Amino acid sequence: MLYDVRLELHYDYDAIVHGGRHLIRVAPITIPGVQRVIAAGLSFEPRPQRESSFTDFFGNSVTTLTYLAPHDHLDIRLTARVQVEDVHPPADLSPSRQALRQEITRYWSVEPDSPQHFIGASPRVQLVPAITEYAARVTAEMPSVLTSALALCMAIHRDFAYDAKATDVETKPAEAFALRKGVCQDFAHVMIAGLRGIGIPAGYVSGFLRTNPPPGKPRLEGADAMHAWIRAWCGQHVGWVEFDPTNAMIAGPDHIAIGHGRDYADISPIVGVLKTHGSHETTQSVDVIRVE
Amino acid sequence: MIDPQGNIRPGWFELMAAFDRLGPTELSARFERADQYLRDAGVFYRKYDGAEGKERDWPLAHVPLLIDETDWSRISSGLIQRAELLETVIADIYGDNLLVQQGLLPPELVARNGEFLRPLVGVKPVSGHYLHFCAFELGRGPDGAWWVLGDRAQAPSGAGFALENRVATTRALSDIYADMNVHRLAGFFRGFRDTLFADAKRDGGRVGILTPGQLNETYFEHAYIARYLGLMLLEGEDLVIEDGNVMVRTVAGLKPVSVLWRRMDASFVDPLELRYDSRIGTPGMVEALRHGSISVINALGTGLLETRALAAFMPRLAQKLLGTDLLLPEIATWWCGQPSEQNHVIDNFDNLLIGPAFATTLPFDDLRGTALGSSIPPEPKAALIERIRANGADYVGQEPVRLSTAPVYVDGKLQPRPITLRVYAARTSDGWTIMPGGFARVGSTSDASAISMQRGGHAADVWVLSSKPVERVSLLPQDGRKLVRNSPGSLPSRAADNLIWLGRYAERCEATVRILRAYNARLAELSKTDLPILTHCAAFLDSIDVDASEAMPQGLLASIDSAVHSAGQIRDRFSPDGWLALNDLQKTAQRFATRIKPGDDATRAMTVLLRKLAGFSGLVHENMYRFAGWRFLELGRRLERAIQIARITGWLTDKDAPDGSLEMLLEIGDSVMSHRRRYSVSAGTQSAIDLLALDPLNPRSVIFQLTELRAQIEMLPGGIDDGQLSPAAKAALQIESDLRIAEPSDMTPGRLDKLAADLGMLAGLVAAAYFV
Repeated sequence: MLYDVRLELHYDYDAIVHGGRHLIRVAPITIPGVQRVIAAGLSFEPRPQRESSFTDFFGNSVTTLTYLAPHDHLDIRLTARVQVEDVHPPADLSPSRQALRQEITRYWSVEPDSPQHFIGASPRVQLVPAITEYAARVTAEMPSVLTSALALCMAIHRDFAYDAKATDVETKPAEAFALRKGVCQDFAHVMIAGLRGIGIPAGYVSGFLRTNPPPGKPRLEGADAMHAWIRAWCGQHVGWVEFDPTNAMIAGPDHIAIGHGRDYADISPIVGVLKTHGSHETTQSVDVIRVE
Repeated sequence: MIDPQGNIRPGWFELMAAFDRLGPTELSARFERADQYLRDAGVFYRKYDGAEGKERDWPLAHVPLLIDETDWSRISSGLIQRAELLETVIADIYGDNLLVQQGLLPPELVARNGEFLRPLVGVKPVSGHYLHFCAFELGRGPDGAWWVLGDRAQAPSGAGFALENRVATTRALSDIYADMNVHRLAGFFRGFRDTLFADAKRDGGRVGILTPGQLNETYFEHAYIARYLGLMLLEGEDLVIEDGNVMVRTVAGLKPVSVLWRRMDASFVDPLELRYDSRIGTPGMVEALRHGSISVINALGTGLLETRALAAFMPRLAQKLLGTDLLLPEIATWWCGQPSEQNHVIDNFDNLLIGPAFATTLPFDDLRGTALGSSIPPEPKAALIERIRANGADYVGQEPVRLSTAPVYVDGKLQPRPITLRVYAARTSDGWTIMPGGFARVGSTSDASAISMQRGGHAADVWVLSSKPVERVSLLPQDGRKLVRNSPGSLPSRAADNLIWLGRYAERCEATVRILRAYNARLAELSKTDLPILTHCAAFLDSIDVDASEAMPQGLLASIDSAVHSAGQIRDRFSPDGWLALNDLQKTAQRFATRIKPGDDATRAMTVLLRKLAGFSGLVHENMYRFAGWRFLELGRRLERAIQIARITGWLTDKDAPDGSLEMLLEIGDSVMSHRRRYSVSAGTQSAIDLLALDPLNPRSVIFQLTELRAQIEMLPGGIDDGQLSPAAKAALQIESDLRIAEPSDMTPGRLDKLAADLGMLAGLVAAAYFV
């Protein structure tokens, strides 16, 4: 499936900003066998005094911006054409959770995709006993890692209300869990905390959703903004599988990934240090149009 | 002191004999001399008990720890081997990661380690090495063999304290020291300093120590080492990354930095790519490292080597990587992430120290996380064993250290106390060198867990004894080498800003004290508060947030605190005597606040404070080298004095000012005598204004301050460029010229107020030019 992705992020600062530095992570990456970036362009307004890019530990594409001149807004524009493979959901060859534990301890690697990075707490996801108990309960009957992850994905969708006003970008998984409310980022963090709590390595995926659904299908929640979902490591044979708890599904050809991390902190669209004393307003718009 | 065979270890016999010759009285007097030295030098550390750390006197254990040359050479070669092993391990972890792939290092210890800094993976240090300065904590078993208790690779502290321990101890025992052939420390520091500067020379940049700032527990040491080795003392906000290069903001503009010896934990160094909540870092530092433009010592990420569980794997890593056993053994450690090790720890629970696997503290420094198994009550013990079974990777068991003792002088007697020894290793162009000495920690009781200074332990000097006379070394250039003066112009903007404020606050204190003295003297005389001269004066004090009804007003205490705070941030820039004088002033003022009453009492107290302020000013101004730093301090002082004099002159020469105002003004302006000599009439408004605003010979007049100000501003970097005046120099000249042609009758209260406002603007122009 071929998509044209267009993203506009607009930051309006309350006070004049006298310079700053940003790390931008919004451009999709090529993931062999899953998606291929044919072209991607990023532009910034005002023009930064210095711009460079690098690939981070997890393989994400990062652009660094340096502003020296005073400015009162920042516009980030992305246009990209991405080919997404229509990969069928994997057959369930995943091990039991007990067997998975053995597989992890025998996984002698700290390469970026190694499950070793995705167990235990990470900067934005602490292990919360209440979430672990919840995850253990809703997956109790599940014979395999894959079915466990899917069960948790469905449960979160069932038990949580999508409510953009209930949480913000700083909300901790424990708070969102207590509220049973939130947006894609909260659902992803709660699911990651739950999976790690029951011993399944899990990470964060940032990305986009196709804007208009295929004929006869409902429009997906979160399609008009940047989206987030998760991936779980389902053993050596199956590897990483992506789940979207916001839409209760295994991520498929409608999901276009920007990149991966342990949690939001590793792949937030913008990290910045500004010389200013005000806050800012953010608006964003996303269009993901199927080309063919 | 006694070896396992019951013999006295080498050196101790001589030392004890010397102590006996001195006798207890003389010995106590000598030890007091060492303590006095430490107090005079302002050596302190910060003790944490509750939210805020307090500065404490340095707890010197006066008897040095003696180590003979045979023992020492064994320690040295063991630590050099260890430093090389650590370098290989850390280079692999941030490089090819073969150790994990080959099964020599469990992946969890890397991937789940908070000190594994992913943004640094694949970033090779420009120097070619990750480690340049390490410390090792050693313990001696009852059998006399030395053991490694822990590696310090993040930002080891204590080397500066080791130096101070040496200076203090030799103050007390100089004759004994001279007789005992003790290895000197200076050569070690000289070697490391020369290496730092050689690295920096290649690309012409500066060398700095990166400190978290004055609230850090070892800030004293950062300032001390900066002064001792001639390095810039830098905080994160002093630095800015420009086109991938690290620059320091100085009063002469941005200047390149090539080498940073960091005393800050790595994750705080860059808020953009490491800890987002760091307020002490420099955004973009990791980018500069990727760019290869800065050498950070030790490399960011080396803190991982301090992980406690790593100790379990070092013996095997030594065999695989070096092909040999470790020369110095380390305390046996079992990581519970492996099934058989986990069983061992649970089976031997009572006899092991149980603690967190990822901790980077030393077991006996870890007041919360680590405990001897047998000391844990049954219920928590069962719960802990349960957790170890569920999440074994988070726990280690370690053999408890049985530390041998050394004598300490307690209550006039020598008593045995457990000791640990911290030894330093530095990389030079000739490879690793070991400091021939170190930093010994002595327990406050015979319990080995009370060694931590946070728990009342003491620090002792370490004497490595040579069998033959030792070479004397110092940091001064050796004969035959050309003396090079370092060029000025590297004053960091933040330091300059603090110097200005120190000057301003000190002067503000003085002005306030003078007014309060004049007020209280009249109060004592008239013993009524509602007289016009007193209410008029109180109203002025109120305008500067000082409540005249308080004998020691909070507003004055706040100014003193601010002066101490500003001074605390630039302790590397003025003499320890100045710092002590300022602290003494603060303590005195606080003591007064609890006991003095308005009137006579307060008058006398203000006189005491005035003398102490003059003492501080004298110590600083007479002893500070006339570099840019002194200029900024002087600027602050002159600015504030001009503003204060202009304002009080306007206030007390107002046409509605009550009787006695002019006399009060002359007293506050310390100009009673000058007035008598110059005008030999009783004070009139015109003569008072002339003397305090326009008389160029009166060191308290406004114009006197302005002439000094203008001269200093012109001397600042860029003050006059090709005959062109900087905006600040122009403004200063303008204000000065206007005053020179003014008549006393022109200087109305309105004009004097405007003058004070113009001076405020001038301060803003200086700040804009040098501190942004």
